[in-house]
Amino acid sequence: MVIKYLKSIQTAVMYMWTTSATTGSSQKTNNSNAQSPTQLDEQDKLLSDALGIVRNQAILMKRNLDKSRLMDGLKCASTMLGELRTSLLSPKSYYELYMAVTDELRFLEIHLLDEFQKGHKVTDLYELVQYAGNIVPRLYLLITVGLVYIKSNPATKKSILKDLVEMCRGVQNPLRGLFLRNYLLTLRNILPDVPVGRDTDDCGNVHDSIDFILTNFAEMNKLWVRMQHQGHSSEKGRREKEREELKILVGTNLVRLSQLESVSLEIYQKIILPSILEQVVSCRDAIAQEYLMECIIQVFPDEFHLQTLDPFLKSCAQLQPGVDVKTIIIGLIDRLALFHQRNEKSIQDESAEILSEIELFNVFSVQVANIVQIRTDMPLEDTISLQAALVNLAQKVYPDKIDYVDKVLETTTQILENLNMNNIAHNLPVNVELSKLLRVCIDFYNNVLTILELKCFPKLFQRFDYKSRKSLSLYLVMNILDNETFIPTDEQCDSVLEMLSPLIKNQEDQPEEALDPDDFAEEQGVVGRFIHLLKSDHLDMQYKILQSARKHFAAGGSQRIKHVLPSLVFQAFQLAYMYKAASNDDENWDKKCQKIIQFCHSTITSIAKAELPDLALRLFLQADQCRGVVTCASLFWSGKKDNEEMRDEKRTLECLKKGARIVQQCLDVNVQVQLYVELLNSYLYYFERGNSQITISMLNQLIGKINEELPNLEKSEETKQIEKHFNNTLAHIKSRIETNDLEVSFAGITI
Amino acid sequence: MATRKKVLLKVIILGDSSVGKTSLMNQYVNKRFSNQYKATIGADFLTKEVVVDDRVVTMQIWDTAGQERFQSLGVAFYRGADCCVLVFDTTAPNTFKNLDSWRDEFLIQASPRNPEHFPFVVLGNKIDLENRAVSSKRAQQWCQSKNDIPYFETSAKEGINVDLAFQTIAKNALAQETEDMETGGFPNITLNPEPNTRQNQNDCSC
Repeated sequence: MVIKYLKSIQTAVMYMWTTSATTGSSQKTNNSNAQSPTQLDEQDKLLSDALGIVRNQAILMKRNLDKSRLMDGLKCASTMLGELRTSLLSPKSYYELYMAVTDELRFLEIHLLDEFQKGHKVTDLYELVQYAGNIVPRLYLLITVGLVYIKSNPATKKSILKDLVEMCRGVQNPLRGLFLRNYLLTLRNILPDVPVGRDTDDCGNVHDSIDFILTNFAEMNKLWVRMQHQGHSSEKGRREKEREELKILVGTNLVRLSQLESVSLEIYQKIILPSILEQVVSCRDAIAQEYLMECIIQVFPDEFHLQTLDPFLKSCAQLQPGVDVKTIIIGLIDRLALFHQRNEKSIQDESAEILSEIELFNVFSVQVANIVQIRTDMPLEDTISLQAALVNLAQKVYPDKIDYVDKVLETTTQILENLNMNNIAHNLPVNVELSKLLRVCIDFYNNVLTILELKCFPKLFQRFDYKSRKSLSLYLVMNILDNETFIPTDEQCDSVLEMLSPLIKNQEDQPEEALDPDDFAEEQGVVGRFIHLLKSDHLDMQYKILQSARKHFAAGGSQRIKHVLPSLVFQAFQLAYMYKAASNDDENWDKKCQKIIQFCHSTITSIAKAELPDLALRLFLQADQCRGVVTCASLFWSGKKDNEEMRDEKRTLECLKKGARIVQQCLDVNVQVQLYVELLNSYLYYFERGNSQITISMLNQLIGKINEELPNLEKSEETKQIEKHFNNTLAHIKSRIETNDLEVSFAGITI
Repeated sequence: MATRKKVLLKVIILGDSSVGKTSLMNQYVNKRFSNQYKATIGADFLTKEVVVDDRVVTMQIWDTAGQERFQSLGVAFYRGADCCVLVFDTTAPNTFKNLDSWRDEFLIQASPRNPEHFPFVVLGNKIDLENRAVSSKRAQQWCQSKNDIPYFETSAKEGINVDLAFQTIAKNALAQETEDMETGGFPNITLNPEPNTRQNQNDCSC
């Protein structure tokens, strides 16, 4: 050690030191640090007192130095530094004091450097300052002088650095030790930074710097960890807060390592990272581990991280229980994903290559699986958010590889399966993370058709409770609307509606209580808007889509049907128009249209059955009109004018004829036949009452028409009713024919 | 001061994360640039000797973390600053918008004697990139509205305007430092308080 061979001790100097430098102002009682308001005031006072002394001593120091009274200047510096011996300040206050003191030390440094450059002999300085009475001021002075020494004589660099980092062991109080060693790290400018073999004399190479910093790092980390175990257990909370504040000092070591330009990837891989990880894992302190792992990610470049993922992630698995491993890994993934995006933009030759060589996704999914397996204490929600981070990685770095995302979803489903987690309640933390995971997928693709390609998406979806399934469904349908995603096939329509099921029909696990009517109407309105996006360019496919959709919507119950089925009917009408427009290309267009109209009819019938007659009526236009005009006929017949029934034979018949024309247009055969029967009855009614405009042949025509159509109807309750009505009518006619004594002759009616 | 041969100027660089604070400092001090991104934690400084108006001054340039969570010990290093450099990324509008809060934060924490006239310098960095999003005009207007802060458009990568900007920074810092010295460089000199009035006989030596 340098000190050992510089042996010119001057007793006089020693005396000077012992008389003044020990008279620092600090009181060292180990009272607990300030927390309560009054104690906070006390902190302020302690700090401002100390700062006042620093200021005064600094002025004196500068004056002495200006007048070339070096010893006196050093004495002032020592007194000033003595303030740093306090145990009464909180970390933040101490930091302020430290800043004030080290700011002033810089003047000393500049002055000494100047003296050296002028050729003044200051060889004894390094030794001289060692006689400062207290170790804290002494070491600060030694570091300052050491720096000057090295600058003026680089050959001493290697030994002085070693010397200093060892001597700092003399301060074992954590707070004071951490700051002292932080000051040691301000030697940044003079750390040797040349590759091995390029160093001349004893100036050292990058390995000397690495040793120096790693030693300092290990010592600082020990001091920092030791804080956790000092003092009464009731003050644990305060201690941890203070440690949190001080972490930055320990992290500065890592910053220094990252600043060494001669550190190659190889050196990082083989020396630096393993040493740091060794220290981190073996200190077994959760606070230190969590911070230092994050710090590694932050201060070293992504190019290094990419090549050292395995050791880093393996160490993550070994951290203490309670360490938030999730956040560490997510931090790393986020950074690498960003890195990838940056490089994509600026076609960065080298790093882009590295990135393509490394199967980032595979490395992470293997290591994350490993961590999940080893760290059994990790909360389930953390496991899920790790999966979400993997999805984020896959999406950012491999946007085309949907199977990567699906793989993560599969793993997640498996994790839940293993834990037998079903019907996951919306208020559980794990639910929050799962929802995020699925929403990230929805948001990223902004295309429900891509979501359908994720085979495990619905599986995961089914694991939620009703409330979450519903809110996710709503999220999905809003995304479809916002992006105007058309659903072009019946299969896709089927799958989407399956996912949206909570909005479309009652669920088994649905709670009894009814939804707020306004909310419900709004939600169903959204679904109604969605129906307009069920759209294929191929008309036949469009028809299939509508059929598939109706299958789902028809099960919705009367409350929902009201909102959604009309949209479906209008979609169908539109399709019929399109077939009509394309009639030249499709010879079967009219039959298809007929089918569509039947589709509309049966859909409207469902609405009617859902006890929504008003709505159904509005949709049942033709039947409505027909019955309407028939009713008008009775106005012209029995309507009173001048207190007498009108009996306008001509007008009455016109109404009936108009009714018949409407029935003719009616494309739903069921309704058509039913209306014909009703019409026949009306004709008969007026015929019987002597309307001479109504002829036998008219009645025969009607009967013939009904006879022709009736057998073609599908057998159903409705058909039966129509048949019964018709047969009754015929029986009535028969009885009239047989009774021959009527004013009107029924003869000639063919039954 | 005439009695001291060398002047030490303290300059603080502030701005959002990844606007290029460290890169600007490295370009100026070491004439180097790296594309690698390393986040700064806490605060760190480099020194450089410069000649301003025929005077040799040592500029101590403090590079700071843009992310607040990395300042766990607070921002005591703001104190005693002679000039504050505000940096934004000309391709990221948010970093420009945040200049206001960086300036306010500095004035509150550093509490300089004369906040109205404290020297700031604004640097719009990364002008080598194509996707520019903050116009010169907009930046200049902001600077004018804040008591005519000098504004430079820089590229730490290409070394554009970096020296020029730091020359101005040094010059303004020196003016500030000189003013400080004249108005109150020697405060609170009290004659009586001997430091040894307080007891510390029972000290351990660490």
